[in-house]
Amino acid sequence: MKDPDSEAQLPLPCIAPESGAQIIQLPAQDRDLAKEKTYSATAGGAQAKAVTKRSRSNSLWYALYLPQLRELDSAQQKKYLTQLAELMQSVSSTVSFHPQALICEIRSSLKYFSGIDAIHQKLQKLFEEQLQQWAMADDFSYAASPTVSGSLLLARSGHNALVYQKENLRSALGQLPIDVLDLNKEQRRRLLNMGINYLRDIWRLPSDGLRKRFGSNFVNQLNQALGKAAEPTQNYIPPPEFIASYDLPYELENLDRLLPIADELLAQLCDFLRRRDLSTSSLVLSLFHEKRDRTEINIGLRMASRSQEHLTLLLETHFDKLSIPAPVVSIKIEVKKFDAFFAKNDSFLRDDELVSTPYSNHNLIQFMEQLQARLGDNYVKSVINTAQHCPEHASLHLDYKEKPNRKIGAALSTETPANPRPLWLLQKPKQLNINKGRLFYRKPIAILSGPERIETHWWSGADVCRDYYVARELSGSKLWIYKEKNDAGKWYLHGIFA
Amino acid sequence: MTTIQNHSDTQQLYQNQYQPEQADAFHGAGSSDIDELIQSNPNLWRGCDMAGQGIQGRSTGFPQLDEILPGRGWPEKGLMEVITPHWGMGELQLLIPLMRSIVEQGKWILWISPPYLLYAPALVQAGINTDQVLVVKLDTSCKDALWSMEKALQTENCGLVLAWQNWLPTKVLRRLQLAADTGDTLGVLFKHHDSEHSPSPIRLKIQDSYTENAGFNESEVTVIKARGNFRSLSANINLYQQP
Repeated sequence: MKDPDSEAQLPLPCIAPESGAQIIQLPAQDRDLAKEKTYSATAGGAQAKAVTKRSRSNSLWYALYLPQLRELDSAQQKKYLTQLAELMQSVSSTVSFHPQALICEIRSSLKYFSGIDAIHQKLQKLFEEQLQQWAMADDFSYAASPTVSGSLLLARSGHNALVYQKENLRSALGQLPIDVLDLNKEQRRRLLNMGINYLRDIWRLPSDGLRKRFGSNFVNQLNQALGKAAEPTQNYIPPPEFIASYDLPYELENLDRLLPIADELLAQLCDFLRRRDLSTSSLVLSLFHEKRDRTEINIGLRMASRSQEHLTLLLETHFDKLSIPAPVVSIKIEVKKFDAFFAKNDSFLRDDELVSTPYSNHNLIQFMEQLQARLGDNYVKSVINTAQHCPEHASLHLDYKEKPNRKIGAALSTETPANPRPLWLLQKPKQLNINKGRLFYRKPIAILSGPERIETHWWSGADVCRDYYVARELSGSKLWIYKEKNDAGKWYLHGIFA
Repeated sequence: MTTIQNHSDTQQLYQNQYQPEQADAFHGAGSSDIDELIQSNPNLWRGCDMAGQGIQGRSTGFPQLDEILPGRGWPEKGLMEVITPHWGMGELQLLIPLMRSIVEQGKWILWISPPYLLYAPALVQAGINTDQVLVVKLDTSCKDALWSMEKALQTENCGLVLAWQNWLPTKVLRRLQLAADTGDTLGVLFKHHDSEHSPSPIRLKIQDSYTENAGFNESEVTVIKARGNFRSLSANINLYQQP
């Protein structure tokens, strides 16, 4: 396909017959003139201005309007648009957000994709798939023109129009009804009362009067559409991503040897984070092997960090426990999730107040992560007191990581039973023998106090009906024993006061 | 008796013999000033003084035990061995006042593979905030448990590290002791058997003192060795202060 400008305004194949885009052959000398203008200006003082003017006039904006997003609130809309913008990035590096619409610059990609048709088809396919996946109507209107607002207005009107030259924009836009503009009720009523139904009717009115009656926003909107005013846009910025890899010159089996290389990659990562004022809380390190699946190490941090020292230490700890199936040929570090970086704050006046700040736990959190990296996920537990009557369930051992989300929030308790409880509980109550009429564990037992009746969990099938006693063994240990009411009065040891 | 303790005894003799004359000689200069000067220097060892060495211990919560410990309480840092014939002889009761004061300081307590489940209601009853308690599970391998203990001792946020390990070589104990010194942390090792040549600065033993008359009331706590003490001392303490 040739340069689109040489064919001037060709409607897209799917343009509706009532399309407002006029097809006007651009006179060849016109284009040459435009070129000359710029070149001649290079010598003059207006150089910068001319160049910017040329670059502006040269851009072509492709707008996609999705009326089905109208019912959603702005946050949800933004979420959907962000995902679509990600898709749109495949054809253009400049994608901007507008209400229910996305607009991208495609002039720079025309040559690469060999024409606007190819770009349109590619986007249409991507968007339709994505919209179907969301179970939404998969139709949308689109338009391309040299200005952002112009494209938006054309797309909003439902005319799938294509306008290549700015000069033709005025006539193309003129045919659109006034509903495509962002009008409030009052403005709309007034325009209709004035007998204005199309934009071309507005062109005929003096702009001073319009500005006076409808405000400068209204006039600005029109000027922007015609390319007479600057159009600030809110562009889509893709989330940062860090991938660094290193192919080893020779195979390595010893992970200790790998550490300096991994350290080098981590240095790159920390540099990346520092430049963008970010920190990270999860990274994936992959070790590649010949003819084997790669080994992946997921390093998760409890508190986002960008300290190379800490990350190296964690990696070292992981390497300690790691066994690899084959020698390593390549190593890669990947980070996709980032957090804002919060520097450590020092107290200004009093040192003793530092203890209360959450940052004082910084070392501890690093230590806990190291502990978890070495021991495994399920080995570090926090102990939680719950408001449960049944002794087995009154104490919960949760994963250290699980703690902050407080799933069991309602059951948390600082209340304790009035009767003493032992520091140690047996995982499974141990049956006690009776020897010569005396209770016997390792040595004879004498009861000190009791009983405390605990009856609960009758609803769960595992009925609990016990009489608890505090007892002392002849060896000196203080024990927590109970007599089962249902089970023929057997005695059990349940805890040690230690 | 170890050689060190013998040495202490001779020093004590030496001091007993010569101190009166020295004291007389300095009377003119004002003995209280000199006493103060001696007190202020923590590097000066005075054999006959229990509170000496300038160590200010943390009260154990048991007055009888404070009496027989150098510095009148637990040391601020270092390794401590608690020897009991079997688990659950009141060794945790002995440490509860210490745990409470450590939690109040905002530091953490790490329990490394305790032999039974740690029971939260009892901790709350003892006034220990469970938010600052962490447990490393029992089925952790010995190597990992020791690694955790060393790391925890080096971390300043951990105030107390409790571990249950029976047989540890001197080299390991020495390493743990060094780690505790770096982190200003107190580590407690619970064991069944006493080893005479252990490098830990404090070794305690808890025995039952069951007699027909006194019943179960008190346990005998023996300070086998404590840096600063010159012989082993023991006290009878009622460890279970709660009814």
